[in-house]
Amino acid sequence: MPDFPVNKAPSTPAKPGAAGLDAHSGADPFIMQLDGRGQIFVANGLKDGPLPAHYEPLASVIQNQLYKQQNNPTLREWDRSDNPYNGQVNPRYPYVLTTYRITELSGVYTRYIPWLAELQPEAFCEIDPELAVEKGLKNGDYATISTAVGEIEVRALVSGRMRPLRIAKGQRVHQIGLPYIFGNFGYTSGDTSGDVIPLAMDPNVSIHEAKTLTCDIRAGRRAPRGRVAQDDAVPEPERSRDGQPLIHGREAGV
Amino acid sequence: MANGFFTDTTLCIGCKACEVACKQWNELPSDGLAFTGMSYDNTLRLSGTTWRHVAFVEDREVGTTIVNRWSMMSDVCKHCTHAGCMEACPTGAIIRNEFGDVYIQPDVCNGCGYCVPSCPFGVVDLIEPFKPSAAKAAEYNTATLDRERLSEGALQSHGGIAGKCTLCYDRQRLGFTPACAKACPTESIQFGNVDDLKARARKRVERLRERGVDAQLYGVDETTSVGDLNAFFLLTQPPEHYNLPARPVLPSTHQPAGYAAAALAAAALAVAGLAIFRGR
Repeated sequence: MPDFPVNKAPSTPAKPGAAGLDAHSGADPFIMQLDGRGQIFVANGLKDGPLPAHYEPLASVIQNQLYKQQNNPTLREWDRSDNPYNGQVNPRYPYVLTTYRITELSGVYTRYIPWLAELQPEAFCEIDPELAVEKGLKNGDYATISTAVGEIEVRALVSGRMRPLRIAKGQRVHQIGLPYIFGNFGYTSGDTSGDVIPLAMDPNVSIHEAKTLTCDIRAGRRAPRGRVAQDDAVPEPERSRDGQPLIHGREAGV
Repeated sequence: MANGFFTDTTLCIGCKACEVACKQWNELPSDGLAFTGMSYDNTLRLSGTTWRHVAFVEDREVGTTIVNRWSMMSDVCKHCTHAGCMEACPTGAIIRNEFGDVYIQPDVCNGCGYCVPSCPFGVVDLIEPFKPSAAKAAEYNTATLDRERLSEGALQSHGGIAGKCTLCYDRQRLGFTPACAKACPTESIQFGNVDDLKARARKRVERLRERGVDAQLYGVDETTSVGDLNAFFLLTQPPEHYNLPARPVLPSTHQPAGYAAAALAAAALAVAGLAIFRGR
Protein backbone atom coordinates (compact mmCIF):
# COMPACT_ATOMS: atom_id res chain seq x y z
CA MET A 1 0.00 0.00 0.00
CA PRO A 2 1.71 3.23 -1.10
CA ASP A 3 1.40 6.44 0.88
CA PHE A 4 3.42 9.66 0.71
CA PRO A 5 3.05 13.39 1.36
CA VAL A 6 1.57 15.20 -1.65
CA ASN A 7 4.64 17.37 -2.13
CA LYS A 8 7.23 14.57 -1.92
CA ALA A 9 8.82 14.10 -5.37
CA PRO A 10 9.89 10.59 -6.53
CA SER A 11 13.44 11.93 -6.74
CA THR A 12 13.55 12.80 -3.01
CA PRO A 13 16.47 10.91 -1.42
CA ALA A 14 16.02 8.86 1.73
CA LYS A 15 17.36 10.39 4.97
CA PRO A 16 19.56 7.85 6.72
CA GLY A 17 18.66 7.49 10.37
CA ALA A 18 15.33 9.31 10.02
CA ALA A 19 12.05 7.84 11.31
CA GLY A 20 8.89 7.02 9.40
CA LEU A 21 8.39 8.02 5.81
CA ASP A 22 11.51 10.22 5.81
CA ALA A 23 13.62 7.06 5.92
CA HIS A 24 12.16 6.08 2.54
CA SER A 25 13.17 7.74 -0.69
CA GLY A 26 10.45 9.29 -2.82
CA ALA A 27 10.53 6.23 -5.06
CA ASP A 28 9.85 3.81 -2.19
CA PRO A 29 6.40 4.76 -0.87
CA PHE A 30 5.09 1.32 0.16
CA ILE A 31 4.66 1.89 3.88
CA MET A 32 3.71 -1.69 4.71
CA GLN A 33 7.12 -2.98 3.55
CA LEU A 34 10.41 -2.56 5.37
CA ASP A 35 12.23 -1.37 2.26
CA GLY A 36 9.30 0.69 0.94
CA ARG A 37 9.27 -1.25 -2.34
CA GLY A 38 6.19 -2.79 -3.87
CA GLN A 39 6.23 -6.57 -4.15
CA ILE A 40 4.73 -8.80 -6.82
CA PHE A 41 5.13 -11.86 -4.59
CA VAL A 42 5.66 -12.51 -0.91
CA ALA A 43 9.30 -13.32 -0.32
CA ASN A 44 8.86 -14.97 3.06
CA GLY A 45 6.44 -15.39 5.93
CA LEU A 46 3.59 -17.17 4.12
CA LYS A 47 3.00 -20.88 4.57
CA ASP A 48 1.54 -21.25 1.09
CA GLY A 49 3.50 -18.67 -0.91
CA PRO A 50 5.25 -17.16 -2.57
CA LEU A 51 3.04 -16.57 -5.65
CA PRO A 52 -0.77 -16.31 -5.46
CA ALA A 53 -2.66 -19.25 -6.94
CA HIS A 54 -6.28 -20.23 -7.39
CA TYR A 55 -7.55 -23.17 -5.41
CA GLU A 56 -11.12 -24.29 -5.04
CA PRO A 57 -12.56 -24.24 -1.52
CA LEU A 58 -12.44 -27.47 0.48
CA ALA A 59 -15.97 -28.32 -0.61
CA SER A 60 -16.64 -27.07 -4.12
CA VAL A 61 -19.12 -27.79 -6.89
CA ILE A 62 -16.50 -27.83 -9.68
CA GLN A 63 -13.02 -29.15 -10.36
CA ASN A 64 -10.24 -26.60 -10.24
CA GLN A 65 -10.12 -25.17 -13.75
CA LEU A 66 -6.54 -23.89 -13.45
CA TYR A 67 -4.54 -26.69 -11.84
CA LYS A 68 -4.77 -30.38 -11.13
CA GLN A 69 -4.43 -29.51 -7.43
CA GLN A 70 -8.02 -29.01 -6.27
CA ASN A 71 -7.50 -27.47 -2.80
CA ASN A 72 -4.84 -25.58 -1.01
CA PRO A 73 -2.46 -28.36 0.13
CA THR A 74 -1.58 -26.43 3.28
CA LEU A 75 -5.21 -25.98 4.36
CA ARG A 76 -5.70 -26.84 8.03
CA GLU A 77 -8.19 -29.69 8.35
CA TRP A 78 -9.49 -31.70 11.29
CA ASP A 79 -10.07 -35.29 10.36
CA ARG A 80 -12.48 -36.29 13.12
CA SER A 81 -15.81 -38.05 13.35
CA ASP A 82 -17.55 -34.88 14.58
CA ASN A 83 -16.11 -32.72 11.80
CA PRO A 84 -17.05 -34.46 8.56
CA TYR A 85 -16.46 -32.70 5.27
CA ASN A 86 -18.79 -32.73 2.28
CA GLY A 87 -15.97 -33.86 0.02
CA GLN A 88 -14.86 -32.37 -3.26
CA VAL A 89 -17.55 -32.06 -5.95
CA ASN A 90 -20.01 -34.26 -4.11
CA PRO A 91 -23.28 -34.58 -6.09
CA ARG A 92 -25.15 -34.96 -2.78
CA TYR A 93 -24.38 -31.28 -2.05
CA PRO A 94 -24.94 -29.52 -5.37
CA TYR A 95 -25.43 -25.94 -4.15
CA VAL A 96 -22.98 -23.25 -3.15
CA LEU A 97 -23.51 -21.91 0.35
CA THR A 98 -22.10 -18.59 1.42
CA THR A 99 -22.43 -16.90 4.78
CA TYR A 100 -22.43 -13.24 5.69
CA ARG A 101 -23.52 -10.72 8.27
CA ILE A 102 -26.49 -8.42 7.87
CA THR A 103 -26.65 -4.75 8.74
CA GLU A 104 -29.37 -5.13 11.33
CA LEU A 105 -27.60 -7.62 13.55
CA SER A 106 -23.89 -7.77 14.01
CA GLY A 107 -23.42 -10.44 16.64
CA VAL A 108 -24.84 -12.31 19.57
CA TYR A 109 -25.33 -9.23 21.74
CA THR A 110 -27.44 -7.46 19.09
CA ARG A 111 -30.00 -10.27 19.25
CA TYR A 112 -30.89 -9.07 22.76
CA ILE A 113 -31.93 -5.60 21.57
CA PRO A 114 -35.64 -5.63 20.65
CA TRP A 115 -35.30 -2.68 18.25
CA LEU A 116 -32.71 -4.59 16.23
CA ALA A 117 -34.38 -7.97 16.64
CA GLU A 118 -37.65 -6.72 15.15
CA LEU A 119 -35.77 -5.68 12.01
CA GLN A 120 -34.55 -9.24 11.41
CA PRO A 121 -36.55 -11.46 13.74
CA GLU A 122 -35.80 -14.89 12.36
CA ALA A 123 -32.99 -16.84 10.72
CA PHE A 124 -33.35 -16.95 6.95
CA CYS A 125 -31.54 -17.95 3.81
CA GLU A 126 -31.69 -16.19 0.47
CA ILE A 127 -32.38 -18.25 -2.62
CA ASP A 128 -33.11 -17.43 -6.25
CA PRO A 129 -36.63 -17.86 -7.68
CA GLU A 130 -35.52 -20.68 -10.01
CA LEU A 131 -34.24 -22.82 -7.13
CA ALA A 132 -37.36 -22.00 -5.13
CA VAL A 133 -39.57 -23.41 -7.89
CA GLU A 134 -37.32 -26.45 -8.24
CA LYS A 135 -37.49 -27.19 -4.51
CA GLY A 136 -41.15 -26.25 -4.04
CA LEU A 137 -40.29 -23.38 -1.71
CA LYS A 138 -42.44 -20.30 -1.41
CA ASN A 139 -41.22 -17.00 0.02
CA GLY A 140 -41.28 -17.27 3.82
CA ASP A 141 -41.47 -21.09 3.92
CA TYR A 142 -39.21 -23.13 6.15
CA ALA A 143 -36.26 -24.65 4.35
CA THR A 144 -33.76 -27.15 5.68
CA ILE A 145 -30.13 -26.72 4.70
CA SER A 146 -27.92 -29.75 5.15
CA THR A 147 -24.24 -30.55 4.92
CA ALA A 148 -22.24 -33.52 6.13
CA VAL A 149 -22.01 -31.82 9.53
CA GLY A 150 -25.71 -31.41 10.18
CA GLU A 151 -28.85 -29.62 9.15
CA ILE A 152 -30.58 -26.40 10.11
CA GLU A 153 -33.99 -24.95 9.40
CA VAL A 154 -34.33 -21.36 8.29
CA ARG A 155 -36.97 -19.29 6.53
CA ALA A 156 -36.53 -18.98 2.77
CA LEU A 157 -36.32 -15.45 1.39
CA VAL A 158 -36.87 -15.83 -2.35
CA SER A 159 -35.48 -12.90 -4.26
CA GLY A 160 -34.32 -12.03 -7.74
CA ARG A 161 -31.33 -10.46 -6.06
CA MET A 162 -29.89 -13.96 -5.91
CA ARG A 163 -29.00 -15.36 -9.31
CA PRO A 164 -27.65 -18.73 -10.44
CA LEU A 165 -23.92 -18.60 -11.18
CA ARG A 166 -22.74 -19.57 -14.63
CA ILE A 167 -19.33 -21.16 -14.15
CA ALA A 168 -16.95 -23.63 -15.80
CA LYS A 169 -18.22 -24.23 -19.34
CA GLY A 170 -21.73 -22.95 -18.79
CA GLN A 171 -22.53 -25.05 -15.72
CA ARG A 172 -25.35 -23.41 -13.79
CA VAL A 173 -24.94 -23.43 -10.04
CA HIS A 174 -27.41 -22.09 -7.52
CA GLN A 175 -26.01 -20.22 -4.59
CA ILE A 176 -27.67 -19.91 -1.21
CA GLY A 177 -26.97 -16.97 1.07
CA LEU A 178 -27.07 -17.63 4.80
CA PRO A 179 -26.67 -14.80 7.33
CA TYR A 180 -24.77 -16.26 10.25
CA ILE A 181 -25.73 -14.11 13.23
CA PHE A 182 -28.77 -16.11 14.35
CA GLY A 183 -28.84 -18.54 17.22
CA ASN A 184 -30.62 -19.84 20.27
CA PHE A 185 -30.54 -16.84 22.59
CA GLY A 186 -31.97 -13.36 22.35
CA TYR A 187 -35.20 -12.06 20.82
CA THR A 188 -34.52 -13.43 17.35
CA SER A 189 -34.98 -17.11 16.75
CA GLY A 190 -33.56 -19.67 14.39
CA ASP A 191 -30.79 -22.15 13.95
CA THR A 192 -27.19 -21.10 13.84
CA SER A 193 -25.23 -21.50 10.63
CA GLY A 194 -22.39 -22.97 12.71
CA ASP A 195 -24.31 -26.24 12.75
CA VAL A 196 -23.69 -26.83 9.05
CA ILE A 197 -20.18 -25.44 8.65
CA PRO A 198 -17.28 -27.83 9.23
CA LEU A 199 -14.05 -26.53 10.69
CA ALA A 200 -11.31 -25.84 8.15
CA MET A 201 -8.86 -22.98 8.27
CA ASP A 202 -6.51 -21.10 6.05
CA PRO A 203 -2.87 -21.87 6.89
CA ASN A 204 -1.66 -18.34 7.53
CA VAL A 205 -4.15 -16.52 9.74
CA SER A 206 -6.53 -19.39 10.58
CA ILE A 207 -9.57 -17.80 8.99
CA HIS A 208 -12.46 -20.22 9.14
CA GLU A 209 -13.61 -21.33 5.69
CA ALA A 210 -17.25 -20.28 5.98
CA LYS A 211 -17.62 -18.13 2.90
CA THR A 212 -17.82 -20.90 0.32
CA LEU A 213 -18.96 -24.41 0.95
CA THR A 214 -21.52 -26.75 -0.51
CA CYS A 215 -24.90 -27.81 0.77
CA ASP A 216 -28.24 -29.31 -0.07
CA ILE A 217 -31.59 -27.64 0.57
CA ARG A 218 -35.10 -29.00 0.84
CA ALA A 219 -38.50 -27.59 1.71
CA GLY A 220 -39.82 -28.20 5.21
CA ARG A 221 -38.47 -28.23 8.73
CA ARG A 222 -35.70 -30.37 10.10
CA ALA A 223 -36.27 -33.27 12.44
CA PRO A 224 -36.45 -32.21 16.11
CA ARG A 225 -33.19 -32.71 17.90
CA GLY A 226 -31.69 -32.50 21.34
CA ARG A 227 -32.68 -34.43 24.41
CA VAL A 228 -36.20 -35.82 24.29
CA ALA A 229 -38.37 -34.18 26.96
CA GLN A 230 -39.26 -37.32 28.94
CA ASP A 231 -35.65 -38.42 29.08
CA ASP A 232 -34.57 -36.49 32.16
CA ALA A 233 -31.52 -38.59 32.98
CA VAL A 234 -28.29 -36.67 32.54
CA PRO A 235 -26.41 -38.38 29.73
CA GLU A 236 -23.21 -40.11 30.66
CA PRO A 237 -20.25 -38.00 29.45
CA GLU A 238 -18.26 -39.47 26.61
CA ARG A 239 -14.99 -40.90 27.80
CA SER A 240 -11.67 -41.31 26.13
CA ARG A 241 -9.97 -44.69 25.92
CA ASP A 242 -8.25 -44.23 29.30
CA GLY A 243 -11.53 -43.34 31.01
CA GLN A 244 -11.16 -39.53 31.16
CA PRO A 245 -14.32 -37.50 30.38
CA LEU A 246 -14.28 -35.76 26.99
CA ILE A 247 -15.25 -32.11 26.64
CA HIS A 248 -16.63 -31.34 23.19
CA GLY A 249 -14.78 -34.37 21.88
CA ARG A 250 -11.48 -33.03 23.15
CA GLU A 251 -9.77 -34.74 26.00
CA ALA A 252 -10.29 -32.72 29.17
CA GLY A 253 -7.27 -30.89 30.50
CA VAL A 254 -5.37 -31.16 27.22
CA MET B 1 -40.87 29.35 8.84
CA ALA B 2 -40.99 25.69 9.67
CA ASN B 3 -38.53 22.95 10.38
CA GLY B 4 -38.71 19.71 8.47
CA PHE B 5 -36.93 16.83 6.83
CA PHE B 6 -35.48 16.43 3.36
CA THR B 7 -35.13 12.71 2.72
CA ASP B 8 -32.92 12.04 -0.28
CA THR B 9 -33.63 8.44 -1.34
CA THR B 10 -30.62 8.38 -3.68
CA LEU B 11 -28.34 8.48 -0.63
CA CYS B 12 -30.20 5.94 1.49
CA ILE B 13 -28.21 2.75 2.07
CA GLY B 14 -30.96 0.96 3.99
CA CYS B 15 -29.10 0.67 7.29
CA LYS B 16 -32.28 1.41 9.27
CA ALA B 17 -30.30 3.48 11.77
CA CYS B 18 -33.06 6.12 11.60
CA GLU B 19 -35.66 3.55 12.62
CA VAL B 20 -33.64 2.38 15.61
CA ALA B 21 -32.51 5.86 16.67
CA CYS B 22 -36.14 7.04 16.59
CA LYS B 23 -37.34 4.13 18.70
CA GLN B 24 -34.53 4.55 21.16
CA TRP B 25 -34.92 8.28 21.69
CA ASN B 26 -38.71 8.20 21.82
CA GLU B 27 -38.78 5.06 23.98
CA LEU B 28 -40.98 3.22 21.52
CA PRO B 29 -41.41 -0.52 21.93
CA SER B 30 -40.69 -3.13 19.30
CA ASP B 31 -43.72 -3.89 17.12
CA GLY B 32 -43.25 -7.61 17.47
CA LEU B 33 -41.04 -10.22 15.95
CA ALA B 34 -42.49 -11.43 12.68
CA PHE B 35 -40.57 -12.59 9.65
CA THR B 36 -42.41 -11.13 6.65
CA GLY B 37 -40.44 -12.36 3.66
CA MET B 38 -40.77 -8.87 2.17
CA SER B 39 -37.13 -8.46 1.24
CA TYR B 40 -35.20 -7.08 4.22
CA ASP B 41 -38.24 -5.19 5.47
CA ASN B 42 -39.73 -6.78 8.58
CA THR B 43 -41.51 -3.74 10.04
CA LEU B 44 -43.49 -3.12 6.82
CA ARG B 45 -45.18 0.19 7.67
CA LEU B 46 -45.32 3.21 9.88
CA SER B 47 -47.36 2.62 13.01
CA GLY B 48 -48.18 4.26 16.31
CA THR B 49 -44.87 3.01 17.62
CA THR B 50 -42.80 2.98 14.42
CA TRP B 51 -42.23 6.57 13.36
CA ARG B 52 -39.53 5.97 10.77
CA HIS B 53 -39.74 3.07 8.37
CA VAL B 54 -37.23 2.13 5.70
CA ALA B 55 -38.90 0.57 2.68
CA PHE B 56 -36.89 -1.96 0.67
CA VAL B 57 -38.44 -1.97 -2.79
CA GLU B 58 -36.88 -4.54 -5.11
CA ASP B 59 -36.62 -3.09 -8.61
CA ARG B 60 -37.25 -6.01 -10.94
CA GLU B 61 -36.01 -5.87 -14.52
CA VAL B 62 -38.98 -5.84 -16.86
CA GLY B 63 -40.07 -9.33 -17.91
CA THR B 64 -37.57 -11.14 -15.67
CA THR B 65 -37.14 -12.13 -12.05
CA ILE B 66 -33.79 -10.36 -11.90
CA VAL B 67 -33.46 -7.70 -9.24
CA ASN B 68 -30.50 -5.42 -9.68
CA ARG B 69 -31.10 -2.96 -6.88
CA TRP B 70 -33.19 -1.87 -3.99
CA SER B 71 -35.09 1.39 -3.95
CA MET B 72 -34.80 2.33 -0.33
CA MET B 73 -36.86 5.06 1.22
CA SER B 74 -37.03 6.15 4.82
CA ASP B 75 -40.68 7.04 5.29
CA VAL B 76 -41.88 9.39 8.01
CA CYS B 77 -44.81 11.65 8.93
CA LYS B 78 -44.98 14.34 6.25
CA HIS B 79 -46.05 17.17 8.61
CA CYS B 80 -48.38 18.46 5.84
CA THR B 81 -49.22 22.11 5.27
CA HIS B 82 -52.91 21.11 5.46
CA ALA B 83 -52.86 18.20 7.86
CA GLY B 84 -55.82 15.81 7.70
CA CYS B 85 -55.17 14.49 11.20
CA MET B 86 -55.20 17.98 12.68
CA GLU B 87 -58.52 18.83 10.96
CA ALA B 88 -60.11 15.63 12.24
CA CYS B 89 -58.93 15.86 15.85
CA PRO B 90 -61.96 16.70 18.05
CA THR B 91 -60.00 17.36 21.25
CA GLY B 92 -57.44 19.77 19.85
CA ALA B 93 -54.70 17.34 20.83
CA ILE B 94 -53.07 17.66 17.41
CA ILE B 95 -51.50 21.07 17.06
CA ARG B 96 -48.99 22.85 14.90
CA ASN B 97 -46.16 23.62 17.27
CA GLU B 98 -43.76 26.56 17.31
CA PHE B 99 -41.49 24.76 14.84
CA GLY B 100 -44.31 24.47 12.29
CA ASP B 101 -44.68 20.75 12.82
CA VAL B 102 -47.80 18.68 13.40
CA TYR B 103 -47.61 17.41 16.96
CA ILE B 104 -49.90 15.11 18.95
CA GLN B 105 -50.03 16.22 22.57
CA PRO B 106 -49.99 12.89 24.39
CA ASP B 107 -51.66 14.30 27.51
CA VAL B 108 -54.62 15.74 25.56
CA CYS B 109 -55.21 12.90 23.09
CA ASN B 110 -58.08 10.65 24.20
CA GLY B 111 -57.43 7.93 21.65
CA CYS B 112 -60.64 8.38 19.63
CA GLY B 113 -58.77 7.47 16.45
CA TYR B 114 -60.44 10.01 14.11
CA CYS B 115 -57.02 11.06 12.88
CA VAL B 116 -56.14 7.56 11.72
CA PRO B 117 -58.34 7.42 8.59
CA SER B 118 -57.93 11.17 8.06
CA CYS B 119 -54.24 10.94 7.19
CA PRO B 120 -53.86 10.82 3.39
CA PHE B 121 -50.59 8.88 3.81
CA GLY B 122 -51.69 6.36 6.45
CA VAL B 123 -49.09 7.59 8.91
CA VAL B 124 -50.99 8.06 12.17
CA ASP B 125 -52.00 4.97 14.09
CA LEU B 126 -53.32 4.14 17.53
CA ILE B 127 -50.93 2.69 20.07
CA GLU B 128 -52.17 -0.37 21.88
CA PRO B 129 -52.57 0.26 25.61
CA PHE B 130 -49.53 -0.97 27.45
CA LYS B 131 -50.48 -3.52 30.11
CA PRO B 132 -47.39 -5.16 31.52
CA SER B 133 -48.09 -8.47 33.19
CA ALA B 134 -45.64 -10.00 35.60
CA ALA B 135 -44.91 -12.76 33.10
CA LYS B 136 -44.44 -10.28 30.25
CA ALA B 137 -42.30 -7.93 32.29
CA ALA B 138 -39.67 -10.64 32.63
CA GLU B 139 -39.47 -10.86 28.83
CA TYR B 140 -39.01 -7.15 28.32
CA ASN B 141 -35.61 -5.62 28.30
CA THR B 142 -34.53 -2.85 30.64
CA ALA B 143 -35.53 -0.13 28.17
CA THR B 144 -39.08 -1.43 28.22
CA LEU B 145 -39.13 -1.61 31.98
CA ASP B 146 -37.84 1.94 32.07
CA ARG B 147 -41.00 2.95 30.25
CA GLU B 148 -42.97 2.47 33.43
CA ARG B 149 -40.60 4.61 35.45
CA LEU B 150 -40.36 7.31 32.79
CA SER B 151 -44.08 7.34 32.06
CA GLU B 152 -44.55 10.97 33.11
CA GLY B 153 -42.14 12.14 30.43
CA ALA B 154 -43.26 9.77 27.71
CA LEU B 155 -47.02 9.33 27.85
CA GLN B 156 -47.20 7.56 24.50
CA SER B 157 -45.39 4.66 26.13
CA HIS B 158 -48.60 3.85 28.01
CA GLY B 159 -50.51 3.56 24.76
CA GLY B 160 -54.22 4.03 24.23
CA ILE B 161 -53.56 7.19 22.22
CA ALA B 162 -52.54 8.06 18.68
CA GLY B 163 -48.88 8.14 17.83
CA LYS B 164 -46.74 9.43 15.01
CA CYS B 165 -43.48 11.28 14.41
CA THR B 166 -43.19 14.34 16.64
CA LEU B 167 -40.25 15.57 14.56
CA CYS B 168 -38.46 15.14 17.89
CA TYR B 169 -40.25 18.10 19.45
CA ASP B 170 -38.36 17.56 22.71
CA ARG B 171 -34.99 17.49 20.96
CA GLN B 172 -35.83 20.57 18.89
CA ARG B 173 -36.72 22.49 22.03
CA LEU B 174 -33.26 21.66 23.32
CA GLY B 175 -31.76 22.76 20.03
CA PHE B 176 -30.87 19.23 18.95
CA THR B 177 -31.28 17.65 15.53
CA PRO B 178 -34.03 14.98 15.49
CA ALA B 179 -32.73 11.52 16.30
CA CYS B 180 -33.18 10.02 12.81
CA ALA B 181 -31.37 12.84 11.00
CA LYS B 182 -28.62 12.73 13.62
CA ALA B 183 -28.16 8.98 13.19
CA CYS B 184 -28.27 8.95 9.37
CA PRO B 185 -24.71 8.08 8.28
CA THR B 186 -25.09 9.26 4.66
CA GLU B 187 -27.06 12.45 5.30
CA SER B 188 -29.92 10.95 3.36
CA ILE B 189 -32.13 12.50 6.05
CA GLN B 190 -31.45 16.19 6.41
CA PHE B 191 -33.10 18.36 9.01
CA GLY B 192 -33.48 22.11 8.93
CA ASN B 193 -35.57 25.06 7.88
CA VAL B 194 -37.91 23.85 5.15
CA ASP B 195 -37.12 26.77 2.81
CA ASP B 196 -33.39 26.10 3.09
CA LEU B 197 -33.96 22.41 2.58
CA LYS B 198 -36.09 23.03 -0.49
CA ALA B 199 -33.37 25.18 -2.05
CA ARG B 200 -30.83 22.45 -1.30
CA ALA B 201 -33.16 19.79 -2.69
CA ARG B 202 -33.74 21.68 -5.95
CA LYS B 203 -29.99 22.01 -6.43
CA ARG B 204 -29.58 18.30 -5.78
CA VAL B 205 -32.28 17.44 -8.35
CA GLU B 206 -30.54 19.64 -10.93
CA ARG B 207 -27.21 17.96 -10.30
CA LEU B 208 -28.74 14.48 -10.50
CA ARG B 209 -30.53 15.30 -13.74
CA GLU B 210 -27.25 16.50 -15.23
CA ARG B 211 -25.90 13.04 -14.46
CA GLY B 212 -28.89 11.48 -16.18
CA VAL B 213 -30.78 10.43 -13.04
CA ASP B 214 -34.52 10.88 -13.34
CA ALA B 215 -34.90 12.65 -10.00
CA GLN B 216 -38.00 14.44 -8.77
CA LEU B 217 -39.14 16.03 -5.55
CA TYR B 218 -42.20 14.74 -3.75
CA GLY B 219 -44.01 17.21 -1.54
CA VAL B 220 -42.55 20.42 -2.99
CA ASP B 221 -44.64 22.89 -5.03
CA GLU B 222 -47.61 20.57 -4.65
CA THR B 223 -50.99 21.46 -6.14
CA THR B 224 -52.81 18.81 -4.12
CA SER B 225 -55.24 19.60 -1.32
CA VAL B 226 -52.61 18.51 1.20
CA GLY B 227 -50.21 21.16 0.01
CA ASP B 228 -46.46 21.12 0.48
CA LEU B 229 -44.97 18.64 2.89
CA ASN B 230 -42.63 19.73 5.66
CA ALA B 231 -41.00 16.33 5.35
CA PHE B 232 -40.44 15.93 1.63
CA PHE B 233 -38.60 13.40 -0.47
CA LEU B 234 -36.31 13.14 -3.46
CA LEU B 235 -37.43 10.15 -5.52
CA THR B 236 -36.04 8.47 -8.63
CA GLN B 237 -39.16 6.42 -9.33
CA PRO B 238 -42.86 7.34 -9.46
CA PRO B 239 -44.27 7.88 -5.93
CA GLU B 240 -46.40 4.70 -6.16
CA HIS B 241 -43.19 2.70 -6.43
CA TYR B 242 -42.45 3.67 -2.83
CA ASN B 243 -46.03 3.19 -1.68
CA LEU B 244 -46.67 6.95 -1.63
CA PRO B 245 -49.91 8.35 -3.10
CA ALA B 246 -49.26 10.14 -6.39
CA ARG B 247 -51.84 12.78 -5.52
CA PRO B 248 -52.75 12.69 -1.83
CA VAL B 249 -56.25 13.95 -1.09
CA LEU B 250 -57.30 15.68 2.11
CA PRO B 251 -60.42 13.86 3.38
CA SER B 252 -62.11 17.18 4.23
CA THR B 253 -62.25 18.03 0.50
CA HIS B 254 -65.00 15.42 0.29
CA GLN B 255 -67.08 17.38 2.80
CA PRO B 256 -68.93 19.79 0.41
CA ALA B 257 -70.09 16.88 -1.73
CA GLY B 258 -71.02 14.95 1.41
CA TYR B 259 -72.98 17.83 2.91
CA ALA B 260 -74.69 18.48 -0.44
CA ALA B 261 -75.71 14.83 -0.69
CA ALA B 262 -76.99 14.93 2.91
CA ALA B 263 -78.92 18.13 2.22
CA LEU B 264 -80.40 16.62 -0.93
CA ALA B 265 -81.40 13.47 0.96
CA ALA B 266 -82.94 15.58 3.75
CA ALA B 267 -84.87 17.64 1.23
CA ALA B 268 -86.08 14.52 -0.55
CA LEU B 269 -87.18 12.96 2.74
CA ALA B 270 -88.94 16.20 3.75
CA VAL B 271 -90.82 16.28 0.45
CA ALA B 272 -91.70 12.59 0.81
CA GLY B 273 -92.86 13.17 4.40
CA LEU B 274 -94.97 16.15 3.39
CA ALA B 275 -96.50 14.13 0.57
CA ILE B 276 -97.39 11.34 2.99
CA PHE B 277 -98.99 13.64 5.58
CA ARG B 278 -100.79 15.65 2.90
CA GLY B 279 -102.37 12.47 1.61
CA ARG B 280 -103.98 11.65 4.97
